[in-house]
Amino acid sequence: MRNFGYFEEGRVGKVSDLRIWQRILAYCRPHKRNIFFSLFLSLLVTCATLALPRLMQLGIDNYIAVTDQETAARLERLDGLVHLSLIYGGTVLVAFAAGFVQVVLLEYIGQSLMDRLRNDLYRHFLGLDLAFFHRHPVGRLVTRLTNDIQNMHEMFTSVMVTLCNDFLKLIGILVVLWFINPDLAAVMGLFLPLSLAVTFIFSRLAREQFRAVRNQLAVLNSFLQEHISAIHLIQLYGREAVSTRRFTGLNHEFMQRTLAQVRLFGFFMPFTEFLSSLAMAVIVWYGGGKILQRQLTIGELVAFFSYMRLFFQPMRELSQKYSIVQSALASAERIFQLLDTGSSIHSPKDPVALDTIKGTICFEQVSFSYQAQESAQQDEQVQAVLEEAVLEDIDLQISAGETLALVGPTGTGKSTLISLLVRFYDPSQGRILLDGHDIRDIALTELRQQIGLVLQDVLIEPATVLANIRLETGMKRAKVERLLADAGIDSFIKSLPQGLDTRIGEGGLDLSSGEKQLLAFARILCRNPAVLILDEATSSVDTEAENLLEQAVEASFAGRTSIIIAHRLSTVRRADRIVVLDQGRIAEQGSHEELMAQRGLYAHLIALDLRLKGVNS
Amino acid sequence: MGFKKKETEAGAEAEPEQRNPSVADLFALLRPHFFRYRTRLLLGFLALLSVDFLQLTIPLYLKEAVDILKNGTATSQGLLQLGGFLLLTATCILLLRFTWRMLILGFSQRLVTALRSQVFSHVLAMDRSFFDQHPPGDIMAHISNDLNSVQMACGMGLVAAVDAVIISGAALLLMVSISPSLTLMSLLPFPLLGISTWFLAGKLHARFDKVQHSFGLITEFARNSMISIRLIKGYTREQQQCNTFAALGKEYVAANLKVAVVQGILFPVAVLVGNLGMLMILYFGGKLVISQAVTLGEFVAFIQYLYMLIWPMMAVGWVTNIAQRGFTSLARIDRLLAARSQLENSVHTVGHAVEESPCVRPEPPVISMRGLHFSYAKATAPTLTGITLDLQPGIFGIAGRTGSGKSTLCRLLTRQYPIQNGMLFFADQDVNRLAPAWIREQISYVSQNPVLFSGTVAENISLAYPDASQEEITTVAQLAALHTEVLAMENGYQTRVGERGLRLSGGQKQRLAIARALLADRPVLIIDDALSALDVETEQQVFANLRTCVTDKIVLIVSHRLKLLAATDQVILLDRGQVVAVDCHENLLRRHDFYQAMSKKQFRNSHSQGEAK
Repeated sequence: MRNFGYFEEGRVGKVSDLRIWQRILAYCRPHKRNIFFSLFLSLLVTCATLALPRLMQLGIDNYIAVTDQETAARLERLDGLVHLSLIYGGTVLVAFAAGFVQVVLLEYIGQSLMDRLRNDLYRHFLGLDLAFFHRHPVGRLVTRLTNDIQNMHEMFTSVMVTLCNDFLKLIGILVVLWFINPDLAAVMGLFLPLSLAVTFIFSRLAREQFRAVRNQLAVLNSFLQEHISAIHLIQLYGREAVSTRRFTGLNHEFMQRTLAQVRLFGFFMPFTEFLSSLAMAVIVWYGGGKILQRQLTIGELVAFFSYMRLFFQPMRELSQKYSIVQSALASAERIFQLLDTGSSIHSPKDPVALDTIKGTICFEQVSFSYQAQESAQQDEQVQAVLEEAVLEDIDLQISAGETLALVGPTGTGKSTLISLLVRFYDPSQGRILLDGHDIRDIALTELRQQIGLVLQDVLIEPATVLANIRLETGMKRAKVERLLADAGIDSFIKSLPQGLDTRIGEGGLDLSSGEKQLLAFARILCRNPAVLILDEATSSVDTEAENLLEQAVEASFAGRTSIIIAHRLSTVRRADRIVVLDQGRIAEQGSHEELMAQRGLYAHLIALDLRLKGVNS
Repeated sequence: MGFKKKETEAGAEAEPEQRNPSVADLFALLRPHFFRYRTRLLLGFLALLSVDFLQLTIPLYLKEAVDILKNGTATSQGLLQLGGFLLLTATCILLLRFTWRMLILGFSQRLVTALRSQVFSHVLAMDRSFFDQHPPGDIMAHISNDLNSVQMACGMGLVAAVDAVIISGAALLLMVSISPSLTLMSLLPFPLLGISTWFLAGKLHARFDKVQHSFGLITEFARNSMISIRLIKGYTREQQQCNTFAALGKEYVAANLKVAVVQGILFPVAVLVGNLGMLMILYFGGKLVISQAVTLGEFVAFIQYLYMLIWPMMAVGWVTNIAQRGFTSLARIDRLLAARSQLENSVHTVGHAVEESPCVRPEPPVISMRGLHFSYAKATAPTLTGITLDLQPGIFGIAGRTGSGKSTLCRLLTRQYPIQNGMLFFADQDVNRLAPAWIREQISYVSQNPVLFSGTVAENISLAYPDASQEEITTVAQLAALHTEVLAMENGYQTRVGERGLRLSGGQKQRLAIARALLADRPVLIIDDALSALDVETEQQVFANLRTCVTDKIVLIVSHRLKLLAATDQVILLDRGQVVAVDCHENLLRRHDFYQAMSKKQFRNSHSQGEAK
């Protein structure tokens, strides 16, 4: 596959890249009827617009500029003028109405297309494996979902309007002029390549300058963002003068670039106007000559003036639109490239049917490294630090109902091990069995529902506490209350202003980190998983919440398999077995007493606590 | 006239600010800039006027051409001459237009550049209570959106206003001179344009804000889901998230369609009105030509003048909006600039005393608090309620529940918030009599969430002391247990970190911030829970290193971890904004329930282990 750079924001797309157009067209297909209707409207608008100067010309030649002085003929002329005016008025209204419907219709089509694309992309993101999210910074993915789609939408409406209305208009004008007077029309036709050339040159220059301005703006804004957010640091370390100096430099550079832009536009904008005047002058001289030779009427001359005025209108637009199309294609390319990125984690086609899971877990010679997964993507300029260590040859049997604690220094792969169990990643080697089934044979949702995961962060959805606890299980309120009471954590719910009906999340109450953990645990209770995992769940909560949570785990998960990862060694002591990981390998395992007796890594970690104790007593 | 009429900025939402600057205030803000560029502006508007004048002569050439052709006096020589004059005029217009664009639009860019700098240096001098009221996002919005509107108003807005008045005035005058009655008739549809533009542009703005808001929601939602992807997958919430996202998308589409409805009328309405005017000319003007009240040439010129009127009429509505927005934005900027640092205020009240700040460091440093009382601006209850403490060189731990005032105390010591007189003394001097900058120079402070600047590791460490040698940097990095990790990075100390560079882990950031503080080597060191992301071993190592290099310094360490607190000389126990005890770890352990409770949890291992021995 070709390497599409998803990174270069300033990149422009190739307008001639057919494959991208094909995919865009595929998205358009469901709206075929609407698109054809808007094309028809375009035709209507163009015809009406072009008819107006022609009608004016007919009025002048047939009724106004006639030089006979008979009263009867004059009355007849007035009559004709009334008729013509009515037609003129009707055409004006048709053009307006058709134009209005077209704008709204196009917006509707464009928005619907983009809405679908956005939803597709979002759904696609959610289905990708975590290694993908390691490689792609969040900001960039969000940009794909928002700005890139926005770019494409802009192109969609612009391109449609440009292609349909403006080009149609340009060609229509030349055709009408040809009918009026082929010679003069031919002369006017020369203006087409001329102004297209000017437009093209301008749009290239403008694009460069626009990019320069945008880049500098980004630099300026990120400087501001960084310095304003960290202002206390600047003040504490007395860096105000330096910051100001640097800002002035960036600010000045930004001004220089905008001024260059002003200069370019200052030339080009009046230049199209100049071309229009040039055309007028040619009409006066050449067209006037034609009148002298009786090859052209005065009304036709006036019509030429009007048509040429219409002729130059779209030119200025065209230049802008070309660059819109280019940047939109670059966006489209990035979006489609992401849509083509497959997940390395797939739910099996025919998953094994599981009835009741006992919770036996077996790691068989499991090895894992992020690098292996990423070797295919080496050319990407991502510098994400992969702090988590690789895992090597992990053999671990966890029997049903066992409580296992994972300990070890930061970055030894504890969380990675858990990530493998819930298939955030798949092991590079070896396999993981749940109740004797390879977890790759179990349906992904089924697996994740059977393994209750409480992490340090908690996902809060903006809704009531009740809705947040039961999520999609739809469990009855009474049952939720009973579960909470059984686990002994109903006191925390009672302390909230409206109990279970308290609104939390954005716009609602802000829960403390302890309360969030209890909530996360309550969720797990509702799902009734076979395996419970607490990954650093208590490391950021206060003592009271930690106690509560521990009691709840004991009350509700006795007899079920649970895996606990914790910094605080006090938490892990009550585990049936402690597994000490060091640099991706199992260094030692056993009960607290056994490990203490071994005087290994675990004993060392405990000794760190002890040393303090010894110092102070 | 060609310029984009696209709405670009999302108006920052109205803020409940107390002060509403008068128009005079706003002019006062702009006056120096206008004055500074007066020659440039004068010439610019002169060029603009000339363009307008020349533009009005073009229909005269066309009228002349039609008239001589009609009455048969035209010669090809005469026509060539007319065409030549037309071209000459057009060339002048081209040059003059370029001139005014450069002069006036250039002015508007220079103006906002100056304002931007003004806002930035102003903000740099503000105290923390200001930033509590104006979060960084708001200030960014002021600097980008508001300055954009000001630039629009002072650039194209100003031009359009002047231009519209002159062009429409002159075109009207010329039209009246041809035929007053025809002028009246052809202008009949025009009020429709002015009114609808004014009305619709306002609506467009409001609806566009809705689109922006909706777009913001989508962005935020997408960002949140990407950040918490692990949780979404862990809880199998994919479907639910997709539904919510789709619902937000629907709202966004609906908001956009509402904008399209307005846009679909707003721009075509100008064309409609122009064409209706043309219809009037065709009918009434045609009658006048037939009755020979006006010549055919005048009739043609009339059509040209009418074209000229369309743009000023549209501009009226547009300019009103631009000006309105420009004024609102300028008012916001003015309010921002009018805010004063409360620290500076208090300094001014004691006048020259500030300059008497001791030039040498007080040896040893002494900090005293006398009934220190503090509440945040919008808080209902005070955060600190009467803290009395004397700090002398030594290592102090600060402990207490969440919300007990630990971080607030640190912030007050570093002079981020104003304090009343007689509450806080530094080297036996009331802090309000000392320059905040001087006090800050005595203190190194490591906050809970250390911030890195885009730049190299070395630059970040040497923030307070940019001239530091590599050895000095290495030394503090070693003390902060960061050195080996830095060496392991691709470019060592020259590795770029921050937004566009390497992402450091929370623990690495914290240690970098410690190194930064150590390099500053100031008499007071405050570490506000900034070792929390380190594992036990590293934390102990950093603390042990710290101990060796802070003799004669006041060191304050906020921490939840008893292990760390146990290693300090004394622990200050805070509860609900008060000091409940200052004692060594062992005594607190014996006497204080809360401290015991904390300890029990964390020391369970060690206790039992101790007993086992």
